[in-house]
Amino acid sequence: MRPDHALPDSPEIDLGPRARAFRAELRAWLAENRPDPAAASESPGAVRGSAALEAWGEKLRRAGYLCITWPEAYGGRGLSGVEVAVMNEEFARAGVPRVTRGMGESLVAPAIIVHGTEEQKARLLPRILSGEDRYCQGFSEPNAGSDLASLETRGVVEGDELVVTGQKVWTSWYWDATMLFCLCRTDPGASKHGGISYVLIPIRQADGSPNGVTFRPIRQITGQKHFAETFLEGARAPLTNVIGGLGNGWAVTRTTLGNERGGSATTQHTAFAAEFWKLVDALRARGRTGDPVVRQQLAWAYTQVELMRFQGLRLISSVATGGDPDASASIHKMFWSEYARRFGEIAMNLLGAEAMIRDDDGRLSRWQASFLGSRSHTIWGGTAEIQRNIVGERVLGLPREPEA
Amino acid sequence: MNLAPTPEQEDFRRSLRRFADDHFDAKSVRRWMAGDMGFDPVLWRKMGAELGLQAIWIPEAYGGHGFGFVELGIALEELGRRLAGGPFLASAVLGAGAILNAGCEERKRALLPGIASGETIACLAVSEPDGCWEPGALATEARAADGGWRLDGVKSFVLDGHVADLVVVAARLPGTGGEEGIALFTVPGDAPGLSRTLLPSLDETRKQARLALDGVQAEPLGEPGRDGPALVKTLDQAAIALACEMVGAAQLVLDVSVEYAKTRVQFGRPIGSFQAIKHKCAEMLLSVETARSAATYAARTAALDSGEVPIVASLAKAHCAEAFFHCAAECLQIHGGIAFTWEHDAHLYLKRAKSSDLLLGDATFHRERLARRIVL
Repeated sequence: MRPDHALPDSPEIDLGPRARAFRAELRAWLAENRPDPAAASESPGAVRGSAALEAWGEKLRRAGYLCITWPEAYGGRGLSGVEVAVMNEEFARAGVPRVTRGMGESLVAPAIIVHGTEEQKARLLPRILSGEDRYCQGFSEPNAGSDLASLETRGVVEGDELVVTGQKVWTSWYWDATMLFCLCRTDPGASKHGGISYVLIPIRQADGSPNGVTFRPIRQITGQKHFAETFLEGARAPLTNVIGGLGNGWAVTRTTLGNERGGSATTQHTAFAAEFWKLVDALRARGRTGDPVVRQQLAWAYTQVELMRFQGLRLISSVATGGDPDASASIHKMFWSEYARRFGEIAMNLLGAEAMIRDDDGRLSRWQASFLGSRSHTIWGGTAEIQRNIVGERVLGLPREPEA
Repeated sequence: MNLAPTPEQEDFRRSLRRFADDHFDAKSVRRWMAGDMGFDPVLWRKMGAELGLQAIWIPEAYGGHGFGFVELGIALEELGRRLAGGPFLASAVLGAGAILNAGCEERKRALLPGIASGETIACLAVSEPDGCWEPGALATEARAADGGWRLDGVKSFVLDGHVADLVVVAARLPGTGGEEGIALFTVPGDAPGLSRTLLPSLDETRKQARLALDGVQAEPLGEPGRDGPALVKTLDQAAIALACEMVGAAQLVLDVSVEYAKTRVQFGRPIGSFQAIKHKCAEMLLSVETARSAATYAARTAALDSGEVPIVASLAKAHCAEAFFHCAAECLQIHGGIAFTWEHDAHLYLKRAKSSDLLLGDATFHRERLARRIVL
């Protein structure tokens, strides 16, 4: 971790000739091409934002720096997680935002590439790449959380369309989305995992009129509204938008999980490191860093962030020599999400009484936001308990729980 | 730098594991732990003759094989799995390290080849009865006398100090304090005035001794009074080495626990199918994996002699100790009553884990050092 303090430099990881060449290419390109400063201040990975960020995204697209893990035939560069890691590192080093196509790029496209027909690839992938189609997710339901396969949303074939009715929940990025990638039950007579289909539903019809998809924002414990409930009332999608064929949706969801293949391994810790040093600064300003108890907790937190960096370096070293990053994904999720939660608690504890009070404008302080926001990390994308099941069963080979 | 092992390092690990599985079986380890020496001298020589283990990290110029710290880490990990190695940590890491870091050319040439061949067993005496590994806390005094040096003081918790042929002693010059005035000396194991007592250690697989020095004649390694940095570096390297050893042991208790969870049946199904046990195993794997990352990264920085070593050493020592203890404790819990018996090996790992945590400074000590080293 390289904070604003004089710590010794870490040795750079050698990821092999292809990654070296890609790094050199990126450095040369970034030296010549800079975004409008207005774009640089936006959050990395944003799908859409200001005009400046849009323009920067377009520039990256023309240069071939969007969706680089997709096959070349569909506008990508056929690169691996190692080059994604290099890209994240170099963009961070240059202080410019990396633009992604969000869940369309990382979740929907891999499903289309693996399970889609040639017609679907040719039609749908360019629209993700251009930013024309922006996806949000319709998987979880009020009665299907960790047990996703128990979902009840129905899909009925009518002519050459699928008509979808039901309710989804925890839909993030809903405010910006044009498409919903959705799981629904198309064969109620089939087995639990059998009758599920994976379908891409337009949020509006071609003429702009509603398509039976409405969002109701959910207020979270932070007061923000980043999620919505999604109501599907006869929402229509052409059957050509069913990926992998009717009834094959469960298998398709499995591939969507393997997205960037370790690409964030070497950069994910940087945000946690920045947060850590901000807490150190806050405690220094209050004259608290001499307290042995405070020092123990800070050293512990520093250790966890460094462990995240070491884990990432070891993962990417392994991927660069042919290893499979998927096995460690759940371990990684357990580690960072539970650290984030603990860090939020530590920050509140170390700041003491003042952490009970919001900022003057009534908003959450940075530390309150971190404390509250981090509670979601051990829930979304598979709870901490589900991650432990996955690690136990798929990594350690322990027997599954018998079906109820 | 790349954190993935090279094919050569994988081969090295495989041959070491074979050797350790063949020679350091539980029965033998228990036999040695019941004795005073704590190891088998014949096997110690074999470790040198067949694998060249004691020579691994010592440069070729001094009779060693000149491999890096990464290979040393692999060796420790494989020995750690089996709670094996006898005085390997004491001699090949602590003793050899102190000589390498502090010794003048002449003394290195004189002392290291014997350690490399396994003929000489060395040890490093730093901590005293107060159990502090902070160089500043040293009280043992070195005074110039009769054109030479004499040492007075008491050393404790000295790994394999009761059998070492060569004792490296950390002392300080009269009237000095803190990290100033530190001096490293060598003393033969049978020197007049040196009395050695085997301590009844909790972890019986690793022997410790108390050494009383009463005007013992000693030979300086480097420049008496200026050895502080060399001692600090030696202790940092030793912390990293011990971290690697703990990773090997933690992996073993995880493997054993998972195997047991798959086969032990209660309520009509393997206990590993219950989330209570499955989740414990997943958490153990998380501990082992993060510990492995820390130890691997730390060994790489030590191999490169990078400026990061002081920070990473304390970080890895603290984290690996807690990870190993977590795994050893859960191993006992997952096995249930059988693991509370003397005949089951779980207690050997539990005792090794707690002792390794306390050895060279516990996690709290190392976190404070880490805090200081990241300028908090």
